[in-house]
Amino acid sequence: MKAADKNDSLLQGIRVLDVADEKASFCSKLLADMGASVIKVEKPGGDASRNIGPFLNNTPHPERSLFFFYHNTNKRGITLNIEHNSGRDIFCRLLKKTDVLVETFPPGYLKGLGLDFEVLRDINPRLILASVTSFGQNGPRKHYQSCDLVASAMGGQMYVSGSPSTSPLKPFGEQSYYASSLFAAIGVLLALQKRRKSGTGEHIDISLQEAVTSTLEHVMIRYFYDYTISTRQGSLYWNHEFCIVPCKDGFIRITLFQQWKTLVEWLDSEDMAGDLMDNKWADEEYRLKHLDRIVEVVKRWTKTHTMSELFEIGQLMGFPWAPISSPREAVESPQLKERGFFVPVDHPEFQKYTDYPGLPYQFTSPMVKQWRRAPLIGEDNIRVFQGELGLSKKEIKKLTSEGAI
Amino acid sequence: MNTKILSGLRVLDFTRVMAGPYATRMLADSGAEVIKIQSKKSATGADSNPSRYFSMWNRNKRSITLDMDYPEARELFLRLTALSDVIFENFSPRVMTNWGLQYKKLKDVKSDLIMVSMSGMGQTGPWKDFVAFGPTIQALSGITYLSSFNKDTPMGLGFAYADVVAGLYAILAVLGALEYRDRTGTGSYIDLSEYEAVCTLLGPALLDTLINQREVLPQGNYSEHIPAAPYGCYRCAGEDRWCVIAIFNETEWQALLKIMGSPEWAYEERFSTLPKRKENTKGLDRFLEQWTAHYEDKELVNRLQEAGIPAGVVQNASDLAKDPQLLARDYFVRLHHPVLGDIISDASPIKLAGGTRVDWKAAPLLGEDNRYVYLELLGLTEKELSSYIKRGVVG
Repeated sequence: MKAADKNDSLLQGIRVLDVADEKASFCSKLLADMGASVIKVEKPGGDASRNIGPFLNNTPHPERSLFFFYHNTNKRGITLNIEHNSGRDIFCRLLKKTDVLVETFPPGYLKGLGLDFEVLRDINPRLILASVTSFGQNGPRKHYQSCDLVASAMGGQMYVSGSPSTSPLKPFGEQSYYASSLFAAIGVLLALQKRRKSGTGEHIDISLQEAVTSTLEHVMIRYFYDYTISTRQGSLYWNHEFCIVPCKDGFIRITLFQQWKTLVEWLDSEDMAGDLMDNKWADEEYRLKHLDRIVEVVKRWTKTHTMSELFEIGQLMGFPWAPISSPREAVESPQLKERGFFVPVDHPEFQKYTDYPGLPYQFTSPMVKQWRRAPLIGEDNIRVFQGELGLSKKEIKKLTSEGAI
Repeated sequence: MNTKILSGLRVLDFTRVMAGPYATRMLADSGAEVIKIQSKKSATGADSNPSRYFSMWNRNKRSITLDMDYPEARELFLRLTALSDVIFENFSPRVMTNWGLQYKKLKDVKSDLIMVSMSGMGQTGPWKDFVAFGPTIQALSGITYLSSFNKDTPMGLGFAYADVVAGLYAILAVLGALEYRDRTGTGSYIDLSEYEAVCTLLGPALLDTLINQREVLPQGNYSEHIPAAPYGCYRCAGEDRWCVIAIFNETEWQALLKIMGSPEWAYEERFSTLPKRKENTKGLDRFLEQWTAHYEDKELVNRLQEAGIPAGVVQNASDLAKDPQLLARDYFVRLHHPVLGDIISDASPIKLAGGTRVDWKAAPLLGEDNRYVYLELLGLTEKELSSYIKRGVVG
């Protein structure tokens, strides 16, 4: 154990190789943002996830994908064809100096290259392999194809999102990839703890589908309790606690049952309570039965206010309400600004600094010091192949002409 | 060995409802000794021990009662802190400080303590005292706005995703801090904001807003950024049955044409390439749904998958409970609860080849471990404990 110095960071010294596609590039980003040393290994020409938008200035180009930018901050980048014999040799040499390998190949692919976990373990007994796949490494559907849409459907998020009059709805963005990446990164840190005691590595097997199912909160609890199948209810929350109503300038999510008396008195003070001050409404059972009437009266009232009026006054009175914020409103949030959530990242190719969403916590221990933008294609080839593996310029040239790097 | 990765790690769990308990559950599943600090006053509603909600998020943990309104309870808490590695709390900011139990004070009794405060907005900033539940945070972050078919009818997600996300980040932070402590001997204090946690999962949309100054709008299941068409959710035969289909390349498109029996519409010029199909998504989806509506979802998806096409059934809770893939991978686990009887819950989606936990224990009853914790760990005498109980300090 050595004393912390101020240049140290949380995961200092943990070396990660990232051969993952968009399903788990966020996993190694999480580790990189905490200070691990991550090398992104792309196929020559660049990873396919560079073709996923949005793009800088809306111009599709592999070096302008904001999707790729965001998922690969604080990593270094090399290109390497691991299907190529000499590429594979270099990969194995890198693995000797690696603590964690993150991959998203279909089950059996690495075995086909002669690189299944048993082989990797022989190369480096301390290696932690994190595999993120569509349905996991085993089971009847292990070879089924997936993507965020399929994972969200099969995992159960879609069925309970949307309204009774619409189709099921997929959560925005690649949420199945994020959930899987969070679980995978946690798995990596658990495996590091285990390795500290046992000295040996571990194979972590994450299924996109299972990661999604693990985010469903009430859905499976209710089913296993009395076989209730949760359905889509638009903006109305499953337990009727929350709903979304219109305001002058947008929408707000409010509660209908918390502090009922305070709520109707607030409406009444503006002559908008209708009949809700009547005694019968004091009974929660009655309110639940006549929810539509309450929503109707409350809506009439909320429409006379702006989102921020209701949000701020409501919060002062202890109501857990919030405006339905657009991304624009989120990036302008005074709360996020005050906490320094957005961090400056230098993109010398385009402009000086750009704000990125940063880390969701303030940590007394040091995280990554200065954020670095995602690597360009093969940006660190020379530094890694020459500097770390000790290949000569001539060897690198040969490997390049063979298409290995 | 494998089943008890975190054995020897002691965690004090001062959290309630979902986000915090979800985080400490994973540590408990991994072998940490998690001690929930409850009281008769706080153990109500979703936090009442024999409730199904509580039992889901608190398995493998211990429970003690300690009423923090008593100054002596805070003394006992400090003594427990000295014997612990990690503290989780999700009170509103100020509560721990008002009790004189802020990180600085706790560090005095345990110098390398790791503590995480989980709150909606974080411990600082103009909104720090705002009240927030998962759906509140989802609204503020933008995920509710964006997860809708259009901006005039916001819908959002039908579950408290934000709470799960905050829980996952909390575990990640604590395990990172543990790695740091093991290497440097230094503890950490972590101020986690659930609001920020969800915002990190909207990165590309926020960057699009920040860098391109674009207005990012909700688009339902469609995404202009995904290079796939068809890409959507389609009605199948039966009551409220649906499937999803995603076609990323020509091979998959040809395979789909073959399964559909090469219908005439599919050969129209406007559907001839992926970019053209993407441009004419609405027309494409209408045709496709006329076809899918004739088939039973599971049968159709299996046929599509056999042909190498990414497709899936939109599964509800009942489908999930019977899902052969989840069952083959032991996704569900059955626990025996002394009051609720057998309960089924999800195991961990983090599968380790070295093996995962086998000795599951259902959630504790209120104060079930008072004797173990107060007598064995803290070394109180029987007399002292009964005096604390009588006065309501332990209660």
